[in-house]
Amino acid sequence: MSDGLKQALDLSLFWEYRAVLLQGLVFNALVFLCAAALALSAGLGAALMRVNRFFPTRLVGTLHVELFRNAPDYVMLVWVHFVLPLIIGAAIRRRVEFHPFVSAVIALGLVYSGYFAETFRAGIEAIPRGNLDAARGFGMSERLILWRIVLPQVVRRMLPEALNQFISLFKATTIVSLIAVPDLMYAVSMVTQQEMRPLPLYTGAALTYFLIILVLASGVRAFSERWRRKILA
Amino acid sequence: MNAIPRIRVVDVHKRFGPLEVLRGVSFDVNRGNVVSVIGASGSGKSTLLRCVNYLEPPNAGEVYLEGEPLGSRLDAGGRRRPRSLAEINRLRRELGVVFQQYNLWPHMTVLGNVVEAPIRVRKLSRAEAMAIGEECLRRVQLTDKAGEYPARLSGGQQQRAAIARALAMRPKAMLFDEPTSSLDPELTDEVLGVMRELAADGTTMIVVTHEMAFAREVSDWVIFLHDGLIEEEGPPAQLFEAAKSERLRRFLAKYRR
Repeated sequence: MSDGLKQALDLSLFWEYRAVLLQGLVFNALVFLCAAALALSAGLGAALMRVNRFFPTRLVGTLHVELFRNAPDYVMLVWVHFVLPLIIGAAIRRRVEFHPFVSAVIALGLVYSGYFAETFRAGIEAIPRGNLDAARGFGMSERLILWRIVLPQVVRRMLPEALNQFISLFKATTIVSLIAVPDLMYAVSMVTQQEMRPLPLYTGAALTYFLIILVLASGVRAFSERWRRKILA
Repeated sequence: MNAIPRIRVVDVHKRFGPLEVLRGVSFDVNRGNVVSVIGASGSGKSTLLRCVNYLEPPNAGEVYLEGEPLGSRLDAGGRRRPRSLAEINRLRRELGVVFQQYNLWPHMTVLGNVVEAPIRVRKLSRAEAMAIGEECLRRVQLTDKAGEYPARLSGGQQQRAAIARALAMRPKAMLFDEPTSSLDPELTDEVLGVMRELAADGTTMIVVTHEMAFAREVSDWVIFLHDGLIEEEGPPAQLFEAAKSERLRRFLAKYRR
């Protein structure tokens, strides 16, 4: 084994700085949670627009999806952080600046809302019409139908696909260090500046992400699958 | 004698684009009566039933529930105004519907399906709704399946659960839209058996059906629909024994084998 490779696989440096790095990981988790909340709510909103009876409403939903789904995470992040504040600032005639954390949440939340919207929409459209007829026949309001009949089924149907999107979103949080959100990768580059040995840190980061996603995803999958199967038998 | 019919259908028209499915249908259903609607596929039977509870709002005509128009009301000046969806919802919850495809909500257990509308729409307490729900499941002999999800039930059991779900709203009338058409013959009987009991208990019912024996035995009044109009109607004995219309005679002949 070459010295370079040996060094790259030696995790003692990563372990030494674990406290700092772990703190970075907390930021990944925070960005993930906030962006996921935004992506889910904006995604549901856009999906409901896309299945609306009125064409203009449908059009807005479609534009939302196409705009954000087709924007690369990286470009969106930089654009939201540097350009969006200028636009808002010009509109309200004041200097506006986004905290990097806020920019990261908005950018990733919007991009993933485009994906989630399509997942929600597929779930909504898969619900048999008769289910809604029955609810209407019993005098349920549209809102009640959405919360009691539509969404509980949509959530169960979309879970496997949503899980993949959550994984992608979590992985996408690794680019937020670009705008100086102090996440794990940011911590890695800080430590690198001190130690000048980036390779073991990258290996450590890769392993950490891998393990976290593997454990969480299989946990969620195992938990959700039995619950889902009940209605789809 | 109560003069106001439970359900009065007056000159109901329904169009889908250029296609006029109902071309002026009127009939009354008195309290405790069973009215069966028969006719070939495409005659407008199911659309008629869907118009009765405004799942398909009629293009013209009106449906009255105990004298109250479902789709419109008179304002202070005596003019007819269309009702809001909330008002229609308030009235149509008095009509229990049973569909050909059962339409149970798959994410709820049988009992969950049955108590959903009583709790959410009628605003009954959970305990009250549960008591009613269990009683309704007993009536359709499904007490042992209360905790199952619909996907694990046979078609006949699902349809009986759907009947219990409609009964739990304590409706003023039950509407059945070809309730046995998706069922195997051996499962048809268990559903018809439940419906016979409901009729015997004095439930007001409109039944769209292809089950001629059932229509003949249980109905107080039978309507033969053809091409969006009532071709002939009358008490079952008259309709099935002495049909005046040639079309009805030909239609009935297909069921006598």
